[in-house]
Amino acid sequence: MSHKVGFINRFSSSWKIFIQNPLGKAGLIILALFALMAFASFWVHLLGPMYDPMTGVDPAISRSVGPSTSHWLGTDFIGRDIFCQLMEGAKIAFIVGLASAFISIVIGTIVGMVSGYAGGIVDILLMRMADMVMVLPSLVILLIVAALFGQLNIWMIVFLIAILRWPAVARVIRSQTLSLKHRPFIEASRVAGASNMRIIFKHIMPNVLPLAFLYMTFRVTSAILVEASLSFLGFGDPGQISWGMMLQWVWSSGHMFQAPYWLLPPGICISLLTLSFYMVGRAMDEVLDPRLRKEGK
Amino acid sequence: MNRIVFMSKKTVELFILFFLILTVLFFLFRLAPGDPVTRMVDPMLTPEDAAHIIEQMGLDKPLITQYMIYVKNFFTGNLGFSFHYGEPVVQVIMARLPCTLLLFTTSTLLAALAGVFLGKISAWKKGSRLDGVLSISALVCHTLFVPWFALMMLWVLGFQVGWFPLGGIISPELWIEESSFLVKALDVLHHMLLPLLTLFIIHVGSYLLLMRSSMLSVLKEDYILTARAKGLTDRVIRNRHAAKNAALPVVTSVGLSLAFSINGGALTEQIFTWPGIGRELIFAVSNNDYPLAQGCFLLIAAVVLSANLIVDLLYAWLDPRIHY
Repeated sequence: MSHKVGFINRFSSSWKIFIQNPLGKAGLIILALFALMAFASFWVHLLGPMYDPMTGVDPAISRSVGPSTSHWLGTDFIGRDIFCQLMEGAKIAFIVGLASAFISIVIGTIVGMVSGYAGGIVDILLMRMADMVMVLPSLVILLIVAALFGQLNIWMIVFLIAILRWPAVARVIRSQTLSLKHRPFIEASRVAGASNMRIIFKHIMPNVLPLAFLYMTFRVTSAILVEASLSFLGFGDPGQISWGMMLQWVWSSGHMFQAPYWLLPPGICISLLTLSFYMVGRAMDEVLDPRLRKEGK
Repeated sequence: MNRIVFMSKKTVELFILFFLILTVLFFLFRLAPGDPVTRMVDPMLTPEDAAHIIEQMGLDKPLITQYMIYVKNFFTGNLGFSFHYGEPVVQVIMARLPCTLLLFTTSTLLAALAGVFLGKISAWKKGSRLDGVLSISALVCHTLFVPWFALMMLWVLGFQVGWFPLGGIISPELWIEESSFLVKALDVLHHMLLPLLTLFIIHVGSYLLLMRSSMLSVLKEDYILTARAKGLTDRVIRNRHAAKNAALPVVTSVGLSLAFSINGGALTEQIFTWPGIGRELIFAVSNNDYPLAQGCFLLIAAVVLSANLIVDLLYAWLDPRIHY
């Protein structure tokens, strides 16, 4: 019981530090707005089939026109509502960002803990592998895979981004594990006969998780950007509408210089969403690392 | 002596990694849906002709022999023929490489220099309004969505204001009518400015942020306090004592962020129709030109790896504290 109360206290004091940071507060507000947009996309079908982001075409328009009362942000080249597509894109961005960041921190955390705890040859091999994966340009790899396997579906993209982006997490978790390894409480549990597995998952993991979550916010940013770039180049999942794909449509249908109402929103959304995740990450960084907090001003 | 051991160790490591990439790529091509035979050979051919081509390409040989031939061909500079151009892949790539290198090295160097300079000032004036403005703008640059930003640059500076051409690397008419070298060089520069500016803005942010945090940690070191106690001027402390040491991590990051820059570079080339390797790769992938896609990919991998090697060596040379 006392353990739980301690956790809540720690959480609320961290929350206070977090929310005092203007970057963190602004980031969280923008994030909440986008989350609202993503949730709203589940009810778009109530507006009628004309507003379906993928198949809904306004029969009265069927070409790209600017904002009006019936289409707040205008329509795309075949008369689909841009605002509805934007909401659908928010959903896809969250799914891609969070899912792929989650997979990469799971891989990165496990590799980092094992590598740091085991040391020796295991450590060397795992870290060499991390170094190797780290230097690979993810977009180029995804392009070559797309070339070989044809259109990738969204989960394939999520998974590929995740397995290309774990090394940075693994490195940080490893160094944290190294510093924990010789602390008295770890030594004590080893003396008490705990197995290596138990020490890693029961004693080390709770101490590295906050750091892993911090890194998750940065991974979200890069996953969203890579997926959007891939979709922009025309190799995204053709069954899903993402912001990158919307930009691809503007570009390939030749509306780039004629339809700013269509060119601006997807790009602003991608940049704002990634920026807000980044700002939240920076603010979390200050919560976790008190040295960053005290200095200045 | 140690230095030579370190360098050869790094080089060997690099070769192993490159060999791994080469091998993985070979098997990926064989794993892909639809066997290579149907993919590479035109289905319109008669079975006899198809069989002849398959034999000619060596696709009837066992996998391991194919692999040996593949590796041997690679190291003798034979990457096959591009389906689209009908020319050797090496020839196509080599024609594109200078364009990419020109754009890429110029933008990376300029961004790194400007980032280090601005980061130094930002850290020195920590907490001031200037620092705030610089850090926030760097953050925004760092998280910009490359294709969209490039499109905006093209739309505003190329189309609306009309200062820059909308794409390409040269104006064809200048090359037909045999202009002087200077005119041609200026024309290339004029075409390069917009993609250069785009890449510069995208990259300068991360260098700034990195230099800033590195500089902040250096400023807390004892030797800075010593320098102050000796009565040195701020300028000397900032430029000679702090910035020199703080710039070291930035050097490493040039190597690490290269993967990121390559992604951005490919997208930028594509949007500004800059005839480089990245655009060629995207073109090859869209047109199912497998030999060309493979060649571009291997070249990019080779460039990334050798740049990382150079950075490692440079770092060891710059920082005497590194033990080999």
